[in-house]
Amino acid sequence: MSFRISATVLIGHNGNAIQSYGFKKKRILGNLQKVLKFLDAYEVDEIHAIVPFKGEGDSGSSSIFSHLSELSISTPLGIGGGITERNIEEITQDPFFERCIFNSAIFNNPELLKKTKSIMGHQSMVASIPFIINDDNLKVYNSKSDSFQAIKDELWKEVESNFNEILLLDTNAEGDKQGFNFEVLKYVKFPIDRIIISGGITKNDIKKAKKIGMAGVSIDNFALHSEYSIRALR
Amino acid sequence: MINIIDVGLGNIRSIEYWLDRSNLFYKRVSKVESITDDAIIIPGVASAGEYMHRLKKTGLDKEIIERSGQEQKIIGICLGFQILTDYSEEDGGTECLGILKGSTKYIDEHKTHNGWNSFYLDTRKLSKNMHIKKKQKKIASGRVYFNHELKVELDCKAYVKSTGDGVTSFAIQNNIFGFQFHPEKSQKTGQELLELIV
Repeated sequence: MSFRISATVLIGHNGNAIQSYGFKKKRILGNLQKVLKFLDAYEVDEIHAIVPFKGEGDSGSSSIFSHLSELSISTPLGIGGGITERNIEEITQDPFFERCIFNSAIFNNPELLKKTKSIMGHQSMVASIPFIINDDNLKVYNSKSDSFQAIKDELWKEVESNFNEILLLDTNAEGDKQGFNFEVLKYVKFPIDRIIISGGITKNDIKKAKKIGMAGVSIDNFALHSEYSIRALR
Repeated sequence: MINIIDVGLGNIRSIEYWLDRSNLFYKRVSKVESITDDAIIIPGVASAGEYMHRLKKTGLDKEIIERSGQEQKIIGICLGFQILTDYSEEDGGTECLGILKGSTKYIDEHKTHNGWNSFYLDTRKLSKNMHIKKKQKKIASGRVYFNHELKVELDCKAYVKSTGDGVTSFAIQNNIFGFQFHPEKSQKTGQELLELIV
């Protein structure tokens, strides 16, 4: 199976594509539809379009995704952010995407995961795992509580059974070219060939990820600004 | 008017955009009475148990089987290909349409098959029984996108191509076309393929 060079696009609530730096600062990249069209034209292997929703309540994601559904692209698309039991049926009613990306549901919503699997199939399930490593401890971001928390072994087992792949995001390196922190693999209990890495990805990281048999990488604005040629990276 | 099976599951919107890009006419079909005599597309991105349940509930299962026997073109994509077989291991075991003799099994050791593989189809290599219209363009080639955990194993005579890792990539048996990959999300190659087969 080929190694994938994917692209992550964050979606702001005004419908713009945004770039996040270090999981804190955000900058508007431009019109979302144009950004996705560019990525489609560059023939990235997959696009992950994510609404960085925090907390509880109405995420507004269904209306954002509904707007996105008007876009005809021929690149595989995964969507995520703010998918809840309240809006899952609406979002999956007429999908224009192939994969669903979850974060907080990993921790506390097996019912939502079960429901999505029955509608979209297990192959569509992707877990978004933004992480930090502090004092030799891995902590994973939970968007519902807007905090980083430890993951116990039992939860890794759940993640392995509920998800087809995971998207590991190095939050410290996000939006930068400082390199992905591969140390995280010491803590992650998930098959290596089903892991996609993101955050700070460099050309060397891509070589390393390929060499150790990872599923792929997801790069951010470097793809968009044509700083990297997708074909050459592949 | 191409029929896209719509039982409230599958990436129908992506299929529509795929057909739009080649200026083809289509409609969504959610009941038996609406089906036209043109090609029937069964989309992917769903699970076998729920998909078959909904097909049976609407009677579309029998209608598709009957029309496949009357030489109407059937195009199954990903799950749509898998349910053309007799049986799938998904969802604890699911009885499928039985249009293509064979079964759908989990990939060895429950591995997953995600990403891009190369693809090549030369319609001159197909027998005359295959339902391919004569066109100037004869070849579709490039790379195609896969995202699945089960694979089709056929026990019937068909034109079958597999990926290097032993997954049935596609199968053509007269009027039946099954693609394990997603041509609708396979960029240029998917478009070339569509224009070759409809």
